[in-house]
Amino acid sequence: MTHIQLEAIHKSYGQTQVLNDCTLEIARGEVMTLLGPSGCGKTTLLRTLAGFVRQDHGRVVVGGAEISHLAPNRRSVGYVFQNYALFPHLSVAENVAYGLKVRRRPAGEIRERVAKALHLVALDGLGARFPAQLSGGQQQRVAIARVLVLEPEVLLLDEPFNALDAKLRLTMQVELRKLIDRVGITSIFVTHDQSEAMMLSDKVAVMRAGRIEQVAAPLAIYDRPVNDYVASFIGRANVLSVEVRGGVVASAPEVVANRADGPARLIVRPENLAIAGADACWSGRILFASAQGPSIEYEVEAGLPEPLRLVVPRQAGEAALPAGAAVGVRIVDPGACIVIGGGSGV
Amino acid sequence: MHPVVRRVLHGGGFWPALPAVAFLVVFLVLPMLTLLAFGFVTIERGRIVGDTFTLQHLHSALGDQLIWRLAWRSFYVAVISTVLALVLAYPVAYLFSQTSGIWRTLILIAVISPLLTSALVRTYAWLVILGGRRGLLNQTLLQLGLIDQPLRLLNTDWAVIIGMTQIHLPFMILPLLAVLSGRDRRLEEAARNLGAGRVRTFFTVVVPMSVPAIFAGLALVFAVSYTNFIVPQLLGGGSYSTLAVQVYEQTVVVLDWTRGAVLATILLTSCFVFVYLIVAGGSRLSRWSEIRT
Amino acid sequence: MTNGSGPGPAPSTHWVDAVGAAVFALVAGFALLLLVAPSLIVIAVSFEPRAYISFPPSGFSLKWYWAVFENRQLTDSVQVSLMVALWVSLLCMALGVPAAFASIRGTFPAKAGLNAFLLAPQMMPGMVIGIATLFFGAYIAFRASNTMLVLALSVFCLPFVIRITMARLADLDPRLDEASANLGAGKLETFVRVTLPQLGPALLAAGAFTFIEAFDNVTVALFTSDVRGRPLPVELYYLVQNDSTPAIAAVSAIEIGLSCLVMLVLGRTVGLERLGGPATKT
Repeated sequence: MTHIQLEAIHKSYGQTQVLNDCTLEIARGEVMTLLGPSGCGKTTLLRTLAGFVRQDHGRVVVGGAEISHLAPNRRSVGYVFQNYALFPHLSVAENVAYGLKVRRRPAGEIRERVAKALHLVALDGLGARFPAQLSGGQQQRVAIARVLVLEPEVLLLDEPFNALDAKLRLTMQVELRKLIDRVGITSIFVTHDQSEAMMLSDKVAVMRAGRIEQVAAPLAIYDRPVNDYVASFIGRANVLSVEVRGGVVASAPEVVANRADGPARLIVRPENLAIAGADACWSGRILFASAQGPSIEYEVEAGLPEPLRLVVPRQAGEAALPAGAAVGVRIVDPGACIVIGGGSGV
Repeated sequence: MHPVVRRVLHGGGFWPALPAVAFLVVFLVLPMLTLLAFGFVTIERGRIVGDTFTLQHLHSALGDQLIWRLAWRSFYVAVISTVLALVLAYPVAYLFSQTSGIWRTLILIAVISPLLTSALVRTYAWLVILGGRRGLLNQTLLQLGLIDQPLRLLNTDWAVIIGMTQIHLPFMILPLLAVLSGRDRRLEEAARNLGAGRVRTFFTVVVPMSVPAIFAGLALVFAVSYTNFIVPQLLGGGSYSTLAVQVYEQTVVVLDWTRGAVLATILLTSCFVFVYLIVAGGSRLSRWSEIRT
Repeated sequence: MTNGSGPGPAPSTHWVDAVGAAVFALVAGFALLLLVAPSLIVIAVSFEPRAYISFPPSGFSLKWYWAVFENRQLTDSVQVSLMVALWVSLLCMALGVPAAFASIRGTFPAKAGLNAFLLAPQMMPGMVIGIATLFFGAYIAFRASNTMLVLALSVFCLPFVIRITMARLADLDPRLDEASANLGAGKLETFVRVTLPQLGPALLAAGAFTFIEAFDNVTVALFTSDVRGRPLPVELYYLVQNDSTPAIAAVSAIEIGLSCLVMLVLGRTVGLERLGGPATKT
C-alpha cells in the first residue's frame, strides 16, 4: 500500500534547477534511501517532504492526504538532521520532551513517554545530560528519540551517520535498522554512501542532478542498473564501448544483446571478469595488482580507453601476478552482463 | 491570497527592522540634515530663513588661519596617538594569544575594564598623574633625582597624546585580540619548519595575517582621537584647542550655531576622508583576505 | 633551534629572537600597566584625607566618599543618569533586537544596504550626534532635555545592541529552528523556546553595555542634556574643571568599582572573551 507519494516535484533556485520532475512512491513500513553524490538534490527532496522547502510544482501526499501546503510544524513527519540539531540549551530529556510540550501534553504523560522513548534508544538514565556531554552515537539516538516520541507517520533521516567515525557507523546502522523494524515506521534516508544504502534500505532511489534515475531494491539496482551512471555509482563497474552485431556483442560473443545492431555499451562488474588463457575476450598487461586477503584486484591495460578492473577470488597462499605480466581476461557469467544503448560510452 | 501580496506582506523578513529604521531616519538622518543645513543658511530664532543658501560661512571658516592650525593639530595629535596605540596594543594582543589560563583572564580584565569606566574618569586619572607640581609623575621624578625642577607636563601636546593613547588603547587591542587568538598556528609551524626564526616568522606570517585587524583598529582609534574634545580640554588646558574643541566651544559656549555647524561639518567630512584612506590602504595591503567566494 | 636539514639552511637568528621576545614582553608589560595603573591611582587618591590630591595619599580616610553622598547635586545627577541609562537600554533593545533579526535572517533584496544603514551611527562621533540632535530639536522647537538626551544616546548606542545580537544570531544553527518546526512548534513558540534562550547571554551583554555607555557618556550628553537635571557625566565634567579636591576621585573610584562588578557578573554569565568582540566599534 502506497504511503508516501511524491508527484512530479520541481524546484529551482534562480537559474539552477535543483529538483527536476521527481516522482517517488514509498509503501507503508518501507525503508527507502535517496542515494546520490553531493549536490544531486537528495537533501532538498527530503526537505521538501518535511516542508522546509516549498516545491515550485508537484504534490506531496502522505497517507492519501496532500500535505504540500502545510507548514513544517503541521506535518506529522519526523526529521533527523545531519548533525542532529539538538537544542544545546536543553537537556536530553527536555530535547525529547520538546515536541510534547509544544503539543501541550500533561506533564505526567510527557515524563512517561520521554522515559519510554529514551528506553527505546537505550539511553535510560542519560536524560539529565546536555547534548554536548554525549558521544556522537548517543546524540544521534537522542535525535531519533526526539522525533519518535511524537509517533510520526514518517521518519526522515538526512545523512544520519555522517558525523560518526567509521567503526561506530557500522554498529549504528545495524542498530538503527533494527529499531525501525521494531517500530515499523516508513522511513527515508538520504546518503551518498552506497554501502550504507545497500545495508539499510528495502529500496534505493539513485539520483543525479535533480532527477531520480532508478528506483529498485538494492540488489536489483546492483544486478540490473538502467544506465552506466547507476552502474558506477552502486558498486564498481567496467563500462565498455562495444558493437552489437547479430544479437551478440562483437568483442565478447558469449554476451547476448537483445537489441538492434550498432554501437552499445557493455557493463561488467569487476568480479564478473577473470584471468583467462585461450578463451580470453581481451588480452593485455597487468598495470597494477593488489592482494586483499579474500580477493585480488587487477587493473589490466587491454587497449581500451580505460583499464579493465578485475576482482578475482584468492586462494590461501596465492600471490598476485606481477605488474607487467601478459594476461587474458574473460567474462565469467555472460548472463550477468548488461548491454545498454548509446554510442560513445564512458 | 495572491502570492505577490503574500510576498510583499512577508517582506522577506524585513518588517522587524522597520522600527529601528524609522527611528534612525527621524533621530539620525533628519538631525544630520539639520546640522548640514545650519551651516549653509541664515537662522533666526532657530528657524531657517527661506532662500538664504550661502557658502559664505564655509568660505570664511576655510579662510581662517586659526581653523587650519587647529585642524592640523587635531590631525597630528590623532596620528601620533593612533600609532602609539598600535605599538602598545600589538604586543598585548600577541601575548594574550600565546598565554593561557589565569594570565589570559587578567589581560582581558585589564583590556575590558577601562571600556566599562567612563572616559571622563580615565581622563581625570591623567590629571592626577600629570597635573602640576604635585602631579604623580613630577613627584616621582623629583624624588628619584632625575629632575630638579618640576616639568611642565599638563597643557602640552604630549599630555593630550598620552591621555588619548591610553584611553583609546582597548579599541586597538580588541580587534587584534580576536584575530591573533583565532589564527591558524600551523602557518607559523610551517614557517619555522622552512627555516625562519621566531622574529622572522612573526613579521612575515603573523603580522601580515593580522593586517585587516590592524587597519580596523587604526581607523577606529584615529576617528575617536580626531573627534575627541574632552581630553584636549582637560589635559590641554584652557588655552589649548583643536578642531573638535572649537566645535564644542562654538556651539555650547559662544552659542554661534552657524559656526559650530560649519566646523562640525568640516570635522566630520575630514574625519571620513582620513578613515576612508586608512581603510583603503588596509584593503590594498590585504587583498588576499577578500578573496572569498 | 634546528636549522640543520633542508635546502640552504637559514642563518642562525638566535640572538635576534631573544632580543625580539624581550622587547615584546617589555612593551606588552608596559601597555598593561598603562591600562590599569591610572584607575588604581585614582582609587588610592580617593582615600586622601587632605583637601588636595597627592600620591601616595597622606593617610586613609573615607571622608570624600561621605562628601560625595552628601552632595545633593551629585546624588541627584546619579538618579538622572540611572533613569536615562534605563530608558536608553530599553529603547535600544526594543529597536535593536528585531532589527538584528531582519539583518541576519531576512531574505529581502537590499539587506546589505539595511545593515550599512543600521550600523551607520557607529561612524558618527558622539559629539556630532549630540550637536545634530540639539539643532534638530531647536528647529522643531524642542529644548534640550533629558528626553532629547535619551533619543540621542539611543541613536549612539543602537549599533552596540545590533552588533552583539547579530554576532550571536549568526552563530546560531538555523537548523535548530527547523528542528523545532519539525517537532510541531510555530514561529513564535520556536522563538521563545529555542532562539531566545540561546540569545540570552548576548542580550544581557548588549543591555549591560548599552546601560553603562548611556550612564557614562559625556560627549553626547554635553549637548543635549537638561540644564537643570544634569546627568552624572556632565556634572562630573564641570566638577573636574572647577574642583581640585579628592571628591572626584571618590566618585571615580565608585564608578570603577561598579564597572568591575558588572564585568564580574558578565564574565560569569557571558564569558569575558565573547564580551570583547562586538563591544568595539569597528
